[in-house]
Amino acid sequence: MRTTTRVTVAALAAVTLVTTAACGRSDSPGTAAPSEGTAVSEGPATGEVTVWAMGTEGEKLGEFAKAFSEENPDATIKVTAIPWDAAHDKIANAIAGNQVPDVSMIGTTWMGEFAATGALDVTPDVVDDDAFFDGAWDSTEVDDVSYGVPWYVETRVLYLDTDLAEKAGVSPTPATWDDLKATAKGLKDAGAAWGINLQPGQTGAWQTFLPFAWEAGAEIYDDGTFSFDTPEFVEALTYYQSFFTEKLAPTQLPEGTLEPDFVDGKIGSFVSGPWHIGILEETGGEGFMDGVTLAPMPEGKEKASFIGGSNLAVFKDAKNRDAAWKFVQWLSEPETQAAWYQEVSDLPAVESAWQQGDLADDERLKVFGDQMTTAQAPPAIPTWEQIANVIDTELEKVCKSGEDPAAAAKAIQQQAETIGTGL
Amino acid sequence: MATVARPVRVGTGSPAGGEAPASSPAPPRRRSRLRRRRSLVAWGFAAPFVVLFLVFMAWPVVSSLFMAVTDIKSRDLRTPFAVNFVGLDNVVTVLTDATFHKAALNTLYFVVVGVPLTMGVALAIAVALNTGITRAAAFFRVSYYMPVVTSIVAVAVVWRFLYRPDNGLINEVLGWFGIQGPDWLGSTTWAMPSLIAMAVWRSMGTLVVIFLAGLQSVPKALHEAAALDGANAWQRLTRVTLPSIRPTILFGGVITGIGFLQFFEEPFVMTQGGPLNSTLSVSYLIYNQFGFGNYGVAAAMAYVLFLAIVLLTVVQFRLLGDRDETGTGRRRSILALLRGSRPAVEDAPVAAPRGGAVGPADRRDTEVPA
Repeated sequence: MRTTTRVTVAALAAVTLVTTAACGRSDSPGTAAPSEGTAVSEGPATGEVTVWAMGTEGEKLGEFAKAFSEENPDATIKVTAIPWDAAHDKIANAIAGNQVPDVSMIGTTWMGEFAATGALDVTPDVVDDDAFFDGAWDSTEVDDVSYGVPWYVETRVLYLDTDLAEKAGVSPTPATWDDLKATAKGLKDAGAAWGINLQPGQTGAWQTFLPFAWEAGAEIYDDGTFSFDTPEFVEALTYYQSFFTEKLAPTQLPEGTLEPDFVDGKIGSFVSGPWHIGILEETGGEGFMDGVTLAPMPEGKEKASFIGGSNLAVFKDAKNRDAAWKFVQWLSEPETQAAWYQEVSDLPAVESAWQQGDLADDERLKVFGDQMTTAQAPPAIPTWEQIANVIDTELEKVCKSGEDPAAAAKAIQQQAETIGTGL
Repeated sequence: MATVARPVRVGTGSPAGGEAPASSPAPPRRRSRLRRRRSLVAWGFAAPFVVLFLVFMAWPVVSSLFMAVTDIKSRDLRTPFAVNFVGLDNVVTVLTDATFHKAALNTLYFVVVGVPLTMGVALAIAVALNTGITRAAAFFRVSYYMPVVTSIVAVAVVWRFLYRPDNGLINEVLGWFGIQGPDWLGSTTWAMPSLIAMAVWRSMGTLVVIFLAGLQSVPKALHEAAALDGANAWQRLTRVTLPSIRPTILFGGVITGIGFLQFFEEPFVMTQGGPLNSTLSVSYLIYNQFGFGNYGVAAAMAYVLFLAIVLLTVVQFRLLGDRDETGTGRRRSILALLRGSRPAVEDAPVAAPRGGAVGPADRRDTEVPA
């Protein structure tokens, strides 16, 4: 036994050494990405374009893209729907195995990571970046180079029980931080168990919190350096914490209770994205939304909200690159964007698409459209998901166990520096 | 492809050990040529297995080892070999990480409380099924095994309902007695015990079956003799039954310990590691790190967990390995299995000399020609 195992161990060690000896990073400066993508050929698109898309988009895009094939008779679009849960790993595996589609939908917070692998094609001059909301375009840029085009966006606003606000005699559209606090207090006094619901940590809480930091004037990231440990950031943390210390917001809300509690008037208001319109109508019945006010996020030193959504990226190893970019270009035309909204209710990333149809007339959508102009994207860096996780964890300590906001800001800063930007 | 060729050469000759008697008086040259041909033929027959083993077992292990000693991250997906060798830096990073400490403590809590509890409950049920309950025994066996075969995702939904703070079944029942139950999954104190209770419920079924098999192999004569000597039921349990099934208990302890150290599904479906990381396990942290694209650190963490599992197993063998001559074939075959595949375990002196018994793995290995 000993001989065999010893030889096996030695062989394993040798294999590991041989493989590791063959490696090493190439740090030659020539590998820096060009800031401008190679031009795309003129004329209509030809050939087959393979597209990966998640969720509803994946289900509906195939049918929707027939219009593109009508304009470009020689081109066919082949859409593969992939579930959101598996999407990140599937794209990562595709990159590792070099079996990529031509185009893929990519969550805004994944841009940094996938761009850093060098698998995404730099955006050529097919679209006008000024046509998009600033926050949306920012989410495609990694180290000042754009690797995709925004497809659709979402942002966060305040959902508020109008009747309860009237009963309490407080403004349903709080304009400032003080107003929001007063509204939350009023809603609670008027009979709600909680004046407002703000996510107290755990996955995704940073999306609710960061708007407050931006409103306070905090700049969390600039050109390779993090600055979480600033008075503005601490101010935002303190303000966020006060909702919990003053018992205006619940520190623990069991999954799936937000909507029924809001419908029952137990929760006076909450911050969320456009998908909640549908969920509330489902929970509260047809017409329930008539009793709900959508208000823009209150203003601190500045106005801000969180911008999310998805981008479209073309892979460097795409088999049909030019046609792929032409398809992306077509999807970001204002008319296409407006038509796509009719199809799946995805809010257009192109500003001018908001001037037609429902998008221009609907009062609720207008709130989202207005909010979008001041919404910001988180830094598009490869390590963002990990840093966001740190914020979630520290935020949870602040909200639930009363950690000092200054200490939390310091902890976030220190951990973010350890993690690095990954660029 | 050099990576594939190497291990093949390593064991050359080993399968031939069983064919050519060592004392064969054939002339050296002819013998060696014959041997070489025989061993080639033998490898030809073994090739399908060897290839499958190398591709699906050895290669992933070697790659994860490779990951653990390099600074590979998600950005290296396209060029996995263009990374730097960092030696044990990843392990240092892991061992100095405060979140890892937290996760390690949580896992330890889960194992130290969960494993004995699972084994105790399973043993009690097995004894009850074996002695007391004869009517509808099959029904009870199936019932206790049910949680093992149901999907954790479906089970989690039910358990989340049970644990709900205001209208959950548990707090409702507690309310009848005037007790205000806590928010089980939302409290840093109660979240872990809640998950342990769920894990015990989920994993005891297998142990009940194993213990039942062990109990049924205890000779009735021993019990009768003890009863004649005036031993009461409790004495017969602790003095006759338990020592007789010690190998079964060891086996149960080892597989439960391994399963519990890799504790992942419960927090994943129930609490996402919260609140305040109070249910974050090492496996969950590894999963997160892979998700963040820190492949090197995650792989190093996985090896640290692997070492912990080996250590726990060694400790269990020390505690439960028999001190008298009641060992049976099963115990020895586990030992042989473990010693065969994890040679680093310093368990050898405890096991090898006893009674001259040598496991099958040992026998084959000693005949390998030098």
